[in-house]
Amino acid sequence: MTEHWFWFGITVLVVAWYSTITVWIAIRGAADIREMVANLDAEQASEKVDESE
Amino acid sequence: MPHFSWSIDGSIIGFYLLVTMAAGVWLRKRVRRVEDFLVAGREMNLHLGIASLAATEFGVITCMYAAQAGYTQGFAGAFPGLCQAGGMFFVGWTGFCVKRLRDKGVMTLPELFENRFGQRVRWLSGVVIVMGGLLNMGVFLKIGGQFLVLVTGLDLSYLVLIMTILLGLVAIYTMLGGMLSVLVTDFLQFVVMSVGLLVVTVMVLVYVGWDQLVTTVETYHGTGGFLPFANPHTGWAFVTMQILMGISTTLTWQTVISRLLSAKDSKTGQQVFTRTSFFFVCRWIIPGLWGIAALAMLGWKPLDALSATDRATLPQEVAQKIEASPVGIPLDGLSLEEQAAIPAKVKASLNDASLNAMPKWMSTFLPIGLMGLLLAAMLAADMSTDASYMLSWGSVIYNDILAPFRRKPWPHARAILWNRCIIALIGVYLFVFGLWYNMEGNVWSYLALTGSIYLSSMSALLIACCYWPRANNWGAFSAIVLGALVPVVHLVMEQSDSLKPLLHGFNKDHAGIAAFVASALGMVIGSLLKPKSSSVTPTPAQA
Repeated sequence: MTEHWFWFGITVLVVAWYSTITVWIAIRGAADIREMVANLDAEQASEKVDESE
Repeated sequence: MPHFSWSIDGSIIGFYLLVTMAAGVWLRKRVRRVEDFLVAGREMNLHLGIASLAATEFGVITCMYAAQAGYTQGFAGAFPGLCQAGGMFFVGWTGFCVKRLRDKGVMTLPELFENRFGQRVRWLSGVVIVMGGLLNMGVFLKIGGQFLVLVTGLDLSYLVLIMTILLGLVAIYTMLGGMLSVLVTDFLQFVVMSVGLLVVTVMVLVYVGWDQLVTTVETYHGTGGFLPFANPHTGWAFVTMQILMGISTTLTWQTVISRLLSAKDSKTGQQVFTRTSFFFVCRWIIPGLWGIAALAMLGWKPLDALSATDRATLPQEVAQKIEASPVGIPLDGLSLEEQAAIPAKVKASLNDASLNAMPKWMSTFLPIGLMGLLLAAMLAADMSTDASYMLSWGSVIYNDILAPFRRKPWPHARAILWNRCIIALIGVYLFVFGLWYNMEGNVWSYLALTGSIYLSSMSALLIACCYWPRANNWGAFSAIVLGALVPVVHLVMEQSDSLKPLLHGFNKDHAGIAAFVASALGMVIGSLLKPKSSSVTPTPAQA
């Protein structure tokens, strides 16, 4: 293990970082989708108002 | 006997597919303008961008070639991941080229080049981008299908059917919702894929063990399994090519760039790059560990990849040489005459031995239930990659190659219809190419070489466009032609039995490096040759 500390360290880092970012993105990404859809809907609504005027 | 249960694992996969399709189709009504279809109305935020970029850049093919690299090169096989991560972090952190690119508000790279080098360069850039990209993704479907068939234990004759179903599902939601559907399905796919990858990796580390992985690499690859420079089959050419690829893919790979261009602003785009960069280490290390584990458990027995009938066609002496060959290079010890005497089908099976080792081992390693999770993860990975790739290359065809046919802007409905038709045609191409093309050697080297058809020239054009005031259309044309010519000639020679001996060990890595050098020289010499009076071009800041 100590002989190949570089690859061991990278492997541990990969598992730790990837687990953390999966949970973080699962939570924050869902919020991003809601915001993106809301913005698109708002744009669509304002365009409809402009057209009717 | 593969541990695949249709009732348990099949239900997990079915449920995943249903949710993905529903999410993809749900967004179709929000696509009103062509910008919504191609760059999600530039509404993409940071976390969605990270999920989308990570999901796009990890497909079944990634898993297969990274596992093959682990199997054939040990830990050193993960070196390209370190280069890609370094390249992406550097570009994201400094904003090198990408800040100017995003600030211009273009939808594709060639659109940026038009401002500086003219319409013809835009069109030609579009052609080489599409040519390199489509050749690159042409093998995705076949290798993805190969993985699924091997893991589930289905007969290889089901490959075509599985490919068709996979492609059909992806095409439906991509055609309906464009980038909006791709972003949302990418998010779902990222979560499913990541959970599957992490669970399987922990199982590999627990059941095979770190010590056995290290011992296996030492036994089969020696020091070269830990240091790419010390490996005679990778060495300096491989390392140089990976560094060039790492930076150039971040700068110009259309699926990567399209995330930058879909971002709200350049700062968000750069953050997506810096924060996703380490994922590129993960995407090589994780499947690489699976590949090393397959080597530890199965060993290197290339003749096992052949049926009894195929094995009988080989003379005793040839069979012995193949059995004693280095890992992943079954034909290494054979003379050209001996190689030519082996039937093409047998040669293809031998070449695939290292590629198929990991899925073969996985099919017996994972228990029922986890097999379903792995398959759902791999389907997620494959669908997100295929969808993004179809959309990205389609966007270049529409935006740049068809640009001369649009004298005035098309109405949005017509433009979206054209984009949908282009995606459908790319799907047909993928299907036909996937069935027809027989790939030689290492998958990653093939992808690197086909990618370099445009990565080399587009990198030269982008850097010159942003930072070299003297750059002009002569240089741009030279860079594009030379950058494409080297890899295409190499691919043609490699596929021809009569021309192949002329390569004399000039491998895919050498050809890739040559393409980068030729492009850079083409840009410099071509630009300098054009008389100054006729090369009135905007300054980099204007371009």
